[in-house]
Amino acid sequence: MNNFSRERFKTGEEYSRALFFLSPFILLFSISLFQVLNLTLFQGDKYQTIAESNRIYQKPISPVRGFIYDRNGTLLAENIVQRDLYVTPAYIEDSAETILKLSNLLDVPYELLDESFSRGVKKVKKFDSFPLVKALNEEQIAKAKVNLDSISGIEVKATLKRYVLHEETLAHVLGYVGDISSEDIRRDKLLAELQNIQIGKTGIEKEFDYVLRGNPGIQTQERDVKGKLVRILDTQGAEDGKDIYLTIDQKLQDHLFKLFENRRGALVALEPKTGLVRALISSPSFNPNILNSIVDTDEVESLFSNKESPIFNRAISGQYPPASTLKPFVGLAAIENEVISWDKKIKDDGEFYVEGDPRPYRGWKENGHGRVDMRKAIAESSDVYFYNIAFDLTLAGIRPMLDSFGFGKKTGLTDFEANGLLPDKKWKLGYKGDFWFKGDTINLGIGQGYILATPLQLAMAYSGLANKGVIYHPQFIQPEDEKSFEPKKIAEIQLSDNKAWEKMEQALVDVISARNGTAHKVFDANSVVIAGKTGTAQIKSILPGKEYDAIRENPALRDHALFVGYGPVEDPKLVVAVIIENGESGSEVAAPIVKSAINFYTGGFDAE
Amino acid sequence: MQNKPLSFSVDIRLNQRRNLLNFDYSIVLTVFLLGLFGLAMIYSASGSFTLVLRQAMYFFLGVILMITAAMSNFRKMEPIYLNAVWIGFFFLVLVLILPNSGTTNRWINLGFIGFQPSELMRFLLPISAAAYLTRNPQIKLSDWIIVLVTTLVAFILVFLQPDFGTSAIVLLSGIMPIILSGLPWRFIIYSFLGGIGTLPFLWMSLMDYQKERIYTFISPQADALGSGWNIAQSKIAIGSGQFFGKGYMEGSQSQLDFIPESHTDFIFAVIVEEFGFLGALGLFLLYAFLIHRLLYVAKSSNSKFAKLVSATLSIILAAYITLNISMVVGIFPVVGMPLPFISQGGTALVVNMITIGIILSLRRTT
Repeated sequence: MNNFSRERFKTGEEYSRALFFLSPFILLFSISLFQVLNLTLFQGDKYQTIAESNRIYQKPISPVRGFIYDRNGTLLAENIVQRDLYVTPAYIEDSAETILKLSNLLDVPYELLDESFSRGVKKVKKFDSFPLVKALNEEQIAKAKVNLDSISGIEVKATLKRYVLHEETLAHVLGYVGDISSEDIRRDKLLAELQNIQIGKTGIEKEFDYVLRGNPGIQTQERDVKGKLVRILDTQGAEDGKDIYLTIDQKLQDHLFKLFENRRGALVALEPKTGLVRALISSPSFNPNILNSIVDTDEVESLFSNKESPIFNRAISGQYPPASTLKPFVGLAAIENEVISWDKKIKDDGEFYVEGDPRPYRGWKENGHGRVDMRKAIAESSDVYFYNIAFDLTLAGIRPMLDSFGFGKKTGLTDFEANGLLPDKKWKLGYKGDFWFKGDTINLGIGQGYILATPLQLAMAYSGLANKGVIYHPQFIQPEDEKSFEPKKIAEIQLSDNKAWEKMEQALVDVISARNGTAHKVFDANSVVIAGKTGTAQIKSILPGKEYDAIRENPALRDHALFVGYGPVEDPKLVVAVIIENGESGSEVAAPIVKSAINFYTGGFDAE
Repeated sequence: MQNKPLSFSVDIRLNQRRNLLNFDYSIVLTVFLLGLFGLAMIYSASGSFTLVLRQAMYFFLGVILMITAAMSNFRKMEPIYLNAVWIGFFFLVLVLILPNSGTTNRWINLGFIGFQPSELMRFLLPISAAAYLTRNPQIKLSDWIIVLVTTLVAFILVFLQPDFGTSAIVLLSGIMPIILSGLPWRFIIYSFLGGIGTLPFLWMSLMDYQKERIYTFISPQADALGSGWNIAQSKIAIGSGQFFGKGYMEGSQSQLDFIPESHTDFIFAVIVEEFGFLGALGLFLLYAFLIHRLLYVAKSSNSKFAKLVSATLSIILAAYITLNISMVVGIFPVVGMPLPFISQGGTALVVNMITIGIILSLRRTT
């Protein structure tokens, strides 16, 4: 105590002590002022931008997507109202309770809603909403509307969804639409500005998306922190998409689709004189509406993982060996190069040998066709005849003719078609690492080996035969007036002897009409006269000592059946290419479809 | 010894008529400016005229009490000041006993009026402490210990509510008179080190929401939609005000409710958004001037009591101003502290104005 009292209270010290203990606050005060300076002046522009984006909400106004019609004005794709249940997480107090209530109300499993909820919550901003249940049915809508007020943060929103009327029938032509993905934006930067809008993903929907889509409008809104609209600052209306009329003949398409009976295969039918595509089928097909409005992701997944690849468009992207359907073009090349004349006969005893090679090149008919000229070789599809002329022609003699008929290059119908493959020496060295052998040429002579063509390319090449050398640009868009429509030529093949066209056509007519024709089975006196060619594409080469019968036990290795033809011969209206995968016999499975198509289209006996 | 105060009071009585209204008008003017500006800002932030009217009534009450306190004779008031702390304790205990809704017990509701006892304590405690320490010319160690114990009890009572921010202020308001009255530096240093030692225990006793606020301060991005969101929005408001501000009632962040607690704890953000850096600078200057003038009382007075009271109350006021602003600009954790004279809230306004009144009275009688 004594010791302590010596340290007496000194007058005036309380003020200096006060300043001392005030100093941390003075420091903090100064730092705060500097921070205000920093925020307002040095970072002011940045914060100004953030404050604006807080306040301003650009609400997109969706344009109505254009409809799609066929050539006769039959509606193919429209938009329907879909009602989705939207949820705003910020307004939900107890998510488990809300989900339970909704689960009971809408009769949707709790787990499903819970999963959808937790997935959606991660994606949206604080006061944004996301669809919890898509495509409510009538009963759910009714129940939801009655009970909605008792559940906060829930609302039913109506949106327009793409709806394809004929479902599977025209799936590959129309394609489907979907939300804009990050990959879409990477490909087309402008898409980043569109929100809440569906764009075409495949087919016509994609190719003509810029026509169908229209331009979204924008409403500039001022919103408060809860996302509530305070006032509308500006409105720019949406510009609706335009309708499209396709060249497709829906009746023909419907009729032909049924004939496929879900077998794997494809069909392309177009008008040789205009290039207008009247039917295009890839089978098996899918229902585009599953993808246009994705409600059940399992359904979508099974569509994409299906081994039969229903999404894949075989008609334009499927690449097959053209097999014997290539023979008319090889034949014309041989005539043109004077390797052979129309009347020169070659003995076909079922086998062909190259000098110095003991390996036989076998024809499809074991003992051969005897002595055959060009007409008979086409009608009966003599392999040995074509082995001979291909050998004489060499690759350099065959390729230019095939090239001028469009093999190995896109036809220009869509951006998504495959190139096919017209091989040459360079290609083989590059891709197979091997030289071009005579045997490769011989195989090419019957459309086997490396050559690949899409059904579309085959149809186009045959339209060249039907038009005596002229090939028109193929298209899906129906011209306003067909009569005055002037199609664009993409090829005009000149032969030194114009009669060659008629002679080849006669041979192709024989295929069905002649008693010995490979497709004489489908001959029908009531039918219009059709020129065409069968084809049987080998998937697996038959090794010596192995017979086809052993191979065909595996259905996936069975030959593809092809038929390409046009008719009526006197005035060709339609050229049709059909392939049935693993169908084995072109004459039995493919030719009847071609015949039916041409007759149906020209109002023949198959028409309704 | 007993005669000395008496002789002073005689003096004062003689000069009373002349000195009654003789106080620092610059302080009064500053407080008026701040209070009226506060009313305007509360209207801008809340858009509620009712709220402004209520605050205006408190302001009016505050003015009356401030003038009354300013005209009082602090020498005569000393016995009252000495025991004033018991009023504070009474309400602090009462608020803990009374049933309350929510997780915190901070309010006492008198039906027509509600107030926060902790706000009352942080100004009654230093006055009583100063009066107690200066009741004899010489301060004994036991005096300091008694004041310290009293302070700790008050601190714990507020902490239990729980109110971390105000409890720290209460602690400061009790300790400042001890330190300022001449506690040897070594005691101060020991206590400071001891205080740091108790920090881990203090941390453990914090409520979850209080811990969260500190986490948020350390890493605001970690909880961008929760409490970090508040600070982020506050900084956006301040920054977007730029140099001149967006204009009165034109701040989008405040008008569209992006700023949390915009009429109470975060009102500074509204001020900067609408009046820019210039407005903030003006406010800083007003506050600095106010504290400077209040401290001048501590400097110029020759009364030990007056020095202790004015210095402590000035520091407390400075602490409120600084902590609130540094929280709003994002350089200090979020502690629920209002901005003196401006934030909406009756108790704080009235208490702050009485504080000013008392300091004015100290000056008048020097």
